[in-house]
Amino acid sequence: MISAIKMHLQGIKTGLAVRMAYRADFIISAFIMLISEFFGPLLTYLIYNNEASLPGWSMYEVLLIQGVFLLSKGISFPFFFGIVWNTLDRVQNGTFDLLLIKPRSVLQMVIVTGFDSEDLGKLIGGLALTGIALYRLPRPGLSEWVAFIGLFVISLVVMFGFALILAGLGIVWIGNYRVYEIFSSIANFGMYPASIFSKSLQTVITSVIPVAMLGFIPASALLGKPYENTLYAVIISFMFLFASLLFWNTTLKKYTSSGG
Amino acid sequence: MIIKVENLTKIYKTYERGNTFREAVYSLFVRKPKYVEALKGISFNIEKGELLGFLGPNGAGKSTTLKVLTGILFPTDGKVDIMGYIPWKNRKKYVAHIGAVFGQKSQLLWDIPPIDAFYLNKAIYSIPDKSFKKTMDYMVDLLDVGDLIKKPTRLLSLGERMKFEFIMAMLHNPEIVFLDEPTIGLDVIAKDRIREFILQMNKEGVTFILTTHDLDDVERLAKRVIVINHGQTVFDNSIDALKNHLGDKKVLSVSTHSPLPSLEMPGILVKNKISEYNVELELDVAKLELNKFIDYINKSSTINDLSVQSLPIEDVMKDLYS
Amino acid sequence: MIVHKNKPKNIIYRQIDILKATVLATYKEWAAYRSHMAISIFVGPVTFLVQVFIWNAVYSTGNTVSGLTLNQIITYYGVVTIINYLTYDSADWNLQMLIQTGKFITFMLRPVSHCYYAFCQKLGHRLLALWVEFIPVYLLFLLVFKINLVPADLFWALISITLGFILMFLMNYCIGITGFWLTKTEGLRRAFILLRDLCAGVLVPLTLFPGFMQKILFFLPFQFITYVPTRVFIGSYELAGISLPIPYVVGMQAGAVIVMFLVYKLLWFLGIKRFTGVGA
Repeated sequence: MISAIKMHLQGIKTGLAVRMAYRADFIISAFIMLISEFFGPLLTYLIYNNEASLPGWSMYEVLLIQGVFLLSKGISFPFFFGIVWNTLDRVQNGTFDLLLIKPRSVLQMVIVTGFDSEDLGKLIGGLALTGIALYRLPRPGLSEWVAFIGLFVISLVVMFGFALILAGLGIVWIGNYRVYEIFSSIANFGMYPASIFSKSLQTVITSVIPVAMLGFIPASALLGKPYENTLYAVIISFMFLFASLLFWNTTLKKYTSSGG
Repeated sequence: MIIKVENLTKIYKTYERGNTFREAVYSLFVRKPKYVEALKGISFNIEKGELLGFLGPNGAGKSTTLKVLTGILFPTDGKVDIMGYIPWKNRKKYVAHIGAVFGQKSQLLWDIPPIDAFYLNKAIYSIPDKSFKKTMDYMVDLLDVGDLIKKPTRLLSLGERMKFEFIMAMLHNPEIVFLDEPTIGLDVIAKDRIREFILQMNKEGVTFILTTHDLDDVERLAKRVIVINHGQTVFDNSIDALKNHLGDKKVLSVSTHSPLPSLEMPGILVKNKISEYNVELELDVAKLELNKFIDYINKSSTINDLSVQSLPIEDVMKDLYS
Repeated sequence: MIVHKNKPKNIIYRQIDILKATVLATYKEWAAYRSHMAISIFVGPVTFLVQVFIWNAVYSTGNTVSGLTLNQIITYYGVVTIINYLTYDSADWNLQMLIQTGKFITFMLRPVSHCYYAFCQKLGHRLLALWVEFIPVYLLFLLVFKINLVPADLFWALISITLGFILMFLMNYCIGITGFWLTKTEGLRRAFILLRDLCAGVLVPLTLFPGFMQKILFFLPFQFITYVPTRVFIGSYELAGISLPIPYVVGMQAGAVIVMFLVYKLLWFLGIKRFTGVGA
């Protein structure tokens, strides 16, 4: 366990060192990473600025959902979502094999070598957006904070599930960087209040592919108006993680039987 | 015996997918499987401390074998036992004992100095501080790269990089090291340096399995050679046996003062008749001894110049690869 | 060396030969990756679906946004999506990779302008996208989402989309040329794409921006990539409070293409000077 933590820390250190070789481009890229995440909040702002609204939600409430979503991305993208491009890249150029000759699990190796420092920009953006939204909203109480933190951790679980599915796709679908788009198109559903979607779609985003967990559910808990199916979504989130682990292992097995 | 391979078989299953629109749509529904037999049951043993050349033409099954032996790929059938491990079953435990250098796949990190990549490997293999430093200092010294270790990798020459690849692969003191085209693209001096390093480490007890197309590497390093072709072993013996594989033959270039006599006799194969006075030929010493041949020519035509060389190893390989 | 093995052909025939060969080669090269492209059939409609729900919710309270009806705004997003399939390109990335990997030198040895070659590549690539992305998504929007995807005036719509196609290419190509000066350009490239999409009206119709922003956007070339072709397709143009007849807007678009072409010529001249001066 200690050796695994040591390894991950060394991986982060190395990842930062690699990116620091081109400081200027790193800073620009991290900044772009942050800006590109603001398309959603910008749309929200423009809607409310044009004197329209999403019924039942104030602008800062919607921005809080999007801030939490960005926060979840800001933690998962640098620290583990990098397994997606790392796998894609390595399978395409043949260096995935190099991970298989290391005395660690392949998943651990793709995480360690996939630390993505640029995406730390998202974390800063997430903190800023959540902070701004919270500043304009009534202070949440302790129980809201506790519920939020618990649900936020589960949003990371869902993120990890997505990362595994995309990385698994990257093994079988060689060189297809567009798998990211699959994620971002679906994840869009988690950035808005679930109430704007149709009933059947709400069921899908909470109990089939729990994207609502990525922003909407934890944010609602923090706002003190928890979503009715929260508990159900929590259970589904873990099942989602389990299913994605299964998928990752299946594609990995396929790789080791066909040699990529 | 450190490596035992028995009847290793690998069959790949691929799918045909068409190029035209119709075929593309069709392939969405019905996929025609295609089976490719990459390894058709190969067997061999390797002793501890050997330096083995593992050769074969492109597509012979070399890299498939290497992948199975390093635990990357699992075979369709057959047994492999390396130091008591089955590579693809006890992969994590097994690979802690092996190292690999790929001439075409760098394990270093392009933008940062080799030393940083070494530290990452130290964490991955959980190498204790003391032994890490000792091994690294020893090998850095042996390859004379002490002043380069903190330079960004992208600024190093190919030869310098390859030296660090070797250090990277051997920091955890592996008992077996797999080398895949380790000298590809290197200049003669760098090649020499790498070869000396391999020989030195081999002397210290490391088993090497060398895959290469560079026959110089093989002649200079390997004591034993395995050649595979079409997924089967076609040769497994010492390097000397390999050189004599096509019989004990010599390549001669002869020039004489008067026109050459008839060369149509057993044991002589004329390769290139340049003129009446000058010929290049291959002599099978088993059928016609060298001194008898020289006598014969000298008597009739008086030798002006003569060079004798053994058959180049390329010719043997061409024969085995065909 | 073979000099003029064949009789020197008419220059136009020669260019057409190059065009046909390059378009076909690019088409075939990318056809192997058509499954990557087909991801759009999923991504496009899903992203669109979110927009549909957002705007339905917004309009459910009886509001109108910047004078557009719900139907108009949804049609806008639908048209933007499908026009992007027709005009998308990655000329910036391609050129920057060629320069960074040193492969660009091989194009200096070919008797054909790289820009022309890259444009032919785009044609081939989009030809494939026509049946892999455009047609399936068009049919989905038309039949499943029931969006009115019939251009107000086919003639002007085609011209405007073609001009958008060329402008997008020239702009991206110019960004690619910056690779002659900058070694690491990924950050800059992404920044530009972001700015371009935002100012071209991919995120929201430009009329939703605050008034002063609209005035700035009106004078920037980005609106001619996506916003103008989309508005021409729908049949009415308005930005920064200015309504213009369609032929007039398309004329302005043509002007933007000419200006961009001159910018390309200048940048290329400077870039090549630097490339050959510094050496590869």
